[in-house]
Amino acid sequence: MMTPTTALAASPDIEGSHSAHGPSEGPKSFVRRYVFSTDHKVIGIQYIVTGLLMAIAGAALAVLIRLQLGWPEHQWQLLSRFLPKGMPSGVMTPEFYLAVVTMHGTIMVFFFISFVLVSGFGNYLVPLHVGARDMAFPFLNMLSYWVAFLSAGLMLASFFVEGGAAGTGWTAYPPLSAVASASPGSGLGQTIWLLSMAFFIASFTMSGLNIVATVFSMRARGMTMWRLPLTVWSFFIASILGLLAFPPLTAAAVMLLLDRHAGTSFFLPTGLVIGNTALANQGGSPLLWQHLFWFLGHPEVYVLILPALGIACDILPAFTRKPVFGYRSSVWCLVAVGALSMIVWGHHMFVSGMSPFTGEYFSLVTLTITVPMTIFGVNMLASLWGARLHFRTPLLFALGVIALFGSGGFGGLFLGNATADMQLHDTYFVVGHFHLMIGGVTLLATFGGIYFWFPKMFGRMMSELLGRLHFWLTFAPFFTIFFMQHFLGLQGAPRRYYSFTAFDFLRETRLQNLIISIAAMVLVSGQLLFLVNFVWSLFAGKKAPANPWDATTLEWTAPSPPPHGNFSADPVVHRWAYEYGVQTVAGDFAVQTVPEQSAPVGA
Amino acid sequence: MAHVIARDSTARWGTRGQESREDVVRLGLWIFLATVTMLFAAFTSAYIVRRSSGDWRPVALPSLLVFNTAVLLLSSGAVEAARWSGTRNRWHAAGVAFGAAVGLGFGFLLAQWAAWGQLAAAGVYLPTSPHASFFYMMTGAHALHVLAALALLTWTAVATWIGRGLSARREWDLLMSVCRTFWHYLGAVWVYLLIFLSVY
Repeated sequence: MMTPTTALAASPDIEGSHSAHGPSEGPKSFVRRYVFSTDHKVIGIQYIVTGLLMAIAGAALAVLIRLQLGWPEHQWQLLSRFLPKGMPSGVMTPEFYLAVVTMHGTIMVFFFISFVLVSGFGNYLVPLHVGARDMAFPFLNMLSYWVAFLSAGLMLASFFVEGGAAGTGWTAYPPLSAVASASPGSGLGQTIWLLSMAFFIASFTMSGLNIVATVFSMRARGMTMWRLPLTVWSFFIASILGLLAFPPLTAAAVMLLLDRHAGTSFFLPTGLVIGNTALANQGGSPLLWQHLFWFLGHPEVYVLILPALGIACDILPAFTRKPVFGYRSSVWCLVAVGALSMIVWGHHMFVSGMSPFTGEYFSLVTLTITVPMTIFGVNMLASLWGARLHFRTPLLFALGVIALFGSGGFGGLFLGNATADMQLHDTYFVVGHFHLMIGGVTLLATFGGIYFWFPKMFGRMMSELLGRLHFWLTFAPFFTIFFMQHFLGLQGAPRRYYSFTAFDFLRETRLQNLIISIAAMVLVSGQLLFLVNFVWSLFAGKKAPANPWDATTLEWTAPSPPPHGNFSADPVVHRWAYEYGVQTVAGDFAVQTVPEQSAPVGA
Repeated sequence: MAHVIARDSTARWGTRGQESREDVVRLGLWIFLATVTMLFAAFTSAYIVRRSSGDWRPVALPSLLVFNTAVLLLSSGAVEAARWSGTRNRWHAAGVAFGAAVGLGFGFLLAQWAAWGQLAAAGVYLPTSPHASFFYMMTGAHALHVLAALALLTWTAVATWIGRGLSARREWDLLMSVCRTFWHYLGAVWVYLLIFLSVY
């Protein structure tokens, strides 16, 4: 019989798994190797693939939204067959539209970007980048993925319950979300939404805990914090933010569930009447939910965007053949942005009736964030200065990240200012802004990261031609859609509205909405190129060498794909992550493991 | 190799390579406890906001809670006694003390159940007043964490009884250290909750 401590010791969490023994073949059975695997690379790829599948669901919902807004009142007969309840005569019902918008936001934010960028790339890259053989807690890591998988499945399943999926926005503001009878989307779908989010938070906590612990304590010899690549720094800061910001949402979700099912009045105010019935609840504050939600919600956007920026920063030098500009200041910017992001949540609530002095505070700290963010952006631009650019697919996407980060960031200046936000709040200006930032920057970084690390993950190169085509079919329509939405917002078009045909002042926006919808169809169709490229390259792509991009970080010293245990010998690090422009036997770069006798050490 | 690293001017945050497994596990535990702290901080903050609305009626909390507190603190003391005995290789005493710690821990949960029962018998239910809602919710969340910690404590108690302290000393030390931190932390959270919920 297994005694408690032998069982514990046998589990990789306590024993330290194979870390002392070098690479091994790992588990033999298919299930232990690819399904319930504790290998960080497999789990990373599981997260990435699950996230991409969820992105397909999210994109399908976006298509439905754009069909409605671009061609209101058009009867889509084919769709009415697939969605007999949501689009009975081929035209979407308003309730279904709200559910679609809610689920599009929820899926894209939590189940696509968080999955792929933080948990996916984070899991895959962090141990390889810091020179470890696996994450600090491999078993917890596996548990994290399967809980995440459960939460994603649960979220998708909510489309099929009575009343349909949640329809109260990805922010789930009460009282709409707190009273089951308030709308079809406030019913069982909302309860499942909350449960799914609880699982998601549990999974993210496990994943974030692992990333922080790995960065802190699993670094190879010589790998100081100042030698970590910016990707690792960005995962590290993003994980700390997630760990600190998600628990308040857990607390809020518990309170909302109790309001919904146990008769409490945390968020439900006095005198609420739903369908001619007065509710017994009294004294609750819907604004309390907004505070708790945005205490998570704002750091969450940095949880998403920081890894995107980190990935772009690590792609750049491989194609500029020079170090990133201002590495240390970029790290400090990430730290400063992380700290500031925890105290700015109120800028989502300028129109909630808060005291003008509080509003002024939130404006001030929000605009302060632009300082480190601008330094970071300028550092990325300066990294291009004087370089001879090698326009390979990953670089195109990294440049796209800079472009969207710059143009999207300007919108933030308007929205962070309480006075301007009063006018722009809940208009398409906001939709345009946050899509350029946490939609576009993260999407392009996701693709850039996949094109860049695909050879490492699968041992094969992706097609350059398809990749470049994919870039232009992504970047151009994406920018068109969300740049134009800023102008819709300036004309006063409110977000979340199901149709604009009833408003005289919005009649002129019909053509804009049509162009946006057409661009959205181009954008979604363009992604087929990526899918084809991904699947084709997986089986028929050119075999990748260990270091196809002549890059300097540790993962490129491992074979492509790296074996279980990653490295043949424990790596010893002698230099920082951006040693480009020095002459070594390998070329114009020095991998972090190259001893200083062989090439001068930059940092 | 060592001299290369020693000369490294950027070696401010340590270059000695990977830390020991024990340190990694302890770090992981503290990160987890940080998230638990944020959870209770959020409840506290919500409590303060909700309290400012007009319908706040304080509920008289059952006096049984003082007894519960004593039980939980005694349990923490018993964990310390088990460690004290274990480090001096008095394994029988360690086993007895750990058994007492686990027993007292479950006793705390039972007593909590009784306290909720007393409150309900007095006609104070979850939705009765915001103060009652917060009381049930926050003590309930704490009890769930206590339950999780008790699983770990039971595991370690069994390990102590079957002599793992002798045959697998490093693992036993690690288990013990994790138990102590987690258990004392939950004790501290409980004391905080009791004072906060009764005084404010």
